[in-house]
Amino acid sequence: MITNMPAGNDPCSADPSQPTLLHTRILSLDVLRGIAVLAALIVSIWVFGGFSIEQQKQLLLQSKGWSYRVFAAIELLLNGKMRALIALVFGVAMILFLTKNGQEGRARAGDIFIKRQLWLILFGLVNAVLFLWTQDILFHLGIMGILIFPFVRLSYRSLLIIAILTTFIFSAKNYWNYADDKKAYHKYLVVTDLEKKFEKDSADKTQKGIVTKKDTLTKLQKQDTGMWVGILASVKSNLKKDDANNKEMRSGNYGKMWNYLLPNIQWWESQWTYRTGVWDFASMIFLGMFLYKIGFFTNRFSRNRYLLIGLMGITIGLLSGWYRLHFQQIALQDYVKYINRYALPYTFLFPLERAVMALAYTSFVLAFLSAGILNGIWKTFAAVGKLALTNYFLQTIICTIFFYGYGMGYYGRLTQWQLYLFAAEVILVQIVFSIIWLRHFNYGPLEWLLRHISSGKWLKKTMPKPSTTEPAITVIS
Amino acid sequence: MDITIPQSNFDNAAPVATSDRIKTIDMIRGVALFGILLMNIPGFGIHWSIFNTIQRGPHNIADFHTLQVISVFFEGTMRGLFSMLFGAGMILFTMNKKEILGGVTIGELYYRRLLVLILFGIINAYVFLWFGDILYFYGFAGMVLYPFRKTATKWLFVLGIVCIGIGMLKGQLNHNETREKRAAYVEAVKQEKTGKTLTAEQQQKKTEWLQIENWKPDTESRDRDVREIRSGYGSVFAFFLPWNSGGETWYLYNGIWDSLCMMFIGMGLLVIGFFSNKLSTSSYLMGLVIGYGIGIPVGIIIFSGEINQSLHIGSYIDNYSVPHSILYDVKRVFLSLGHASLIILIFRSRIIPWLMRALANVGQMAFSNYLMQSIICTLFFYGYGLGYYNHLKYHQLYYVVVSVWVFQLIFSSIWLRYYRFGPFEWVWRSLTYWKKQPFRKKLITD
Repeated sequence: MITNMPAGNDPCSADPSQPTLLHTRILSLDVLRGIAVLAALIVSIWVFGGFSIEQQKQLLLQSKGWSYRVFAAIELLLNGKMRALIALVFGVAMILFLTKNGQEGRARAGDIFIKRQLWLILFGLVNAVLFLWTQDILFHLGIMGILIFPFVRLSYRSLLIIAILTTFIFSAKNYWNYADDKKAYHKYLVVTDLEKKFEKDSADKTQKGIVTKKDTLTKLQKQDTGMWVGILASVKSNLKKDDANNKEMRSGNYGKMWNYLLPNIQWWESQWTYRTGVWDFASMIFLGMFLYKIGFFTNRFSRNRYLLIGLMGITIGLLSGWYRLHFQQIALQDYVKYINRYALPYTFLFPLERAVMALAYTSFVLAFLSAGILNGIWKTFAAVGKLALTNYFLQTIICTIFFYGYGMGYYGRLTQWQLYLFAAEVILVQIVFSIIWLRHFNYGPLEWLLRHISSGKWLKKTMPKPSTTEPAITVIS
Repeated sequence: MDITIPQSNFDNAAPVATSDRIKTIDMIRGVALFGILLMNIPGFGIHWSIFNTIQRGPHNIADFHTLQVISVFFEGTMRGLFSMLFGAGMILFTMNKKEILGGVTIGELYYRRLLVLILFGIINAYVFLWFGDILYFYGFAGMVLYPFRKTATKWLFVLGIVCIGIGMLKGQLNHNETREKRAAYVEAVKQEKTGKTLTAEQQQKKTEWLQIENWKPDTESRDRDVREIRSGYGSVFAFFLPWNSGGETWYLYNGIWDSLCMMFIGMGLLVIGFFSNKLSTSSYLMGLVIGYGIGIPVGIIIFSGEINQSLHIGSYIDNYSVPHSILYDVKRVFLSLGHASLIILIFRSRIIPWLMRALANVGQMAFSNYLMQSIICTLFFYGYGLGYYNHLKYHQLYYVVVSVWVFQLIFSSIWLRYYRFGPFEWVWRSLTYWKKQPFRKKLITD
């Protein structure tokens, strides 16, 4: 059957830009989004506030005391898992957005989707390059959405296969990074052996009374040793590195800080994306799409089954996370020993770890939602989740102003505990803000902006007032 | 808007029938494809330090003259034309198809097509080991274009100019950085002369600049590079691995404007009928005069700037607050326009119709020919092939280019007599539509 679009017909009539109408929103997605955005702050506060990698390494080496325990708990429960959760929900939302009835609706949804993603990339650039958040993920979500757009039609089987494949590639990438280190170490060994031989030769010769010029290493050989020495230095914990960084981060001038942070931001957006980020996000987005297609979000399983999946996920996730930390400690103590002894890097299972953890969180939320318990809490999270984009930006703005030098300059001045306290404050503020905002409006300000610039009708519309007939949150199914 | 695009009416959401193709576009694409090899051949066949050596002189040898001609007339312009036609191709691709209810949308097809292109780019880089691959970048840049396929012509040109502006800005920022380094050095030297001792920071800045100023390609690392590239597949792969991954990362992030600006302009030019041979002869004449009239002098200025910079970088940085190279994209746009006008004028004058037909054949299977250039050249130069890497002089590389051209002219013409698409085009299409495409031509017997 062929549809010819009648010339005079406004293609907007089947209007998917009437952005995801309230009654099609799935509550669990908002809840998960809300949880992810808020909990992610507990990890990103490390970066915002200057709880540095070096300090983290120190704690891991100590491996005792409450500071260590709290850090390890957050490392196991949240680090990387919240980004994974956001990506998972993003995958589900993609299908919801793109699967419209009828060809016209679908084609138009695709158009708007692509525009939306391009704007999202721009939002991400603003968040990173202008507001100086060095680990923005909007940029990546924007790109990933476009790359994965042609896969939306795939069957759940294909999606599962791709999800597994991308998770595996993510692991393989971690392995390759480690293999590079190994290679550098072996080159170093070759060169140091050579150096020793030179020493010995010239010693022998002077003994025999022969005067010759001592053989020296070539420039390239020196480069080879330098490479490994550099790697070793970067793995070792060295608190002194923080001083220079703290000084820069507290310098009271936006221009200076911009210059200082730009390379970090560009690294995050280019190298990290190419090496890891693509697989990091893709694996979770595909997992989300797969889960949606098998009806995971529409109560396909019984409550007990969800709980079971959740418990299994948590168990596997925590176990592999615990091993990860354990092996990281060994690597921190003596990386040479680690390289000699272990074939795999300690990050090898991380892709699996955070995937099962994200899956577990999702299952728990679904189980609780269907049980109808703790409704107040879920509604609160859902409110935050509906304003996820706005809240995400708010976190950047609040934290940069509080910590960065051109704001109040608290960077590196708070202990780990104080940082969590601060994060809790911000979370509280965001919850209150979200609830109050949603009493007056249907969409968050940035959500509204994104929707209207994507559908190209932004100047005609004013901020929609809440309708009295529809409740702000609706549970479907 | 004067655009008449042939509607393929026998098949829904299917590749363009051969008879519907726009001949002039294929022709220009064929020329651009040949031109790209002019720029790529040093990458295949000779160590990059040769450019520095040639620039430093002597300036009366064949190598220098070759570099002069290539830089002034061709550098960037063939890639530019190729990008323009890629942008134009996006409009043709999306406008030519009708959708089937419940079937795959054009948007999905388009993005699938680009994903496959990216995949081919990765293969070109990591399997054929051509570090200068552009398919990968075109795939990504193309993803940005789609929402602009119905944008008014005027805005397409504006977008092109904006992208050029961003590229210029980036160039200027880089230059400013170098100038700052130079200024710090000059300051440090001044202080030293008055007898003050330098702070550690000043000392560091001084050495930093001296490193830039005294930088020369060193023979030790050049020899190692050459040795590696002349060895087996494994070593060559390992050698180019950081080049490929570095390029695909850094250039995509920072250099996407290079492709985007030309693609937007190309879309605009298609819509006004420039590429489809719809304008009057006098318009093309004007395009030729303006394109070459501005493009060539600017090209000469840029080239002289490059020479100047590589001979006396210190005084160059002191004297020029804006680098010559900032005009690069301006030159590219005008020269590309000039080249395209010239090709269409030659086509209209019917002096060499056989060559034009042959070029159109080359352009029709440009994708295959592009990949084939990688395959031929890597096999000719790299160690796992004939191992001619760094054996030829710079100007001698162009004998290889001409041989490849002749081969591709003949090969394309013969191939298209029997098949509907080039071999890689066929794979590309089949993957895009996820269905085996008809391959052989039905022979018309009388």
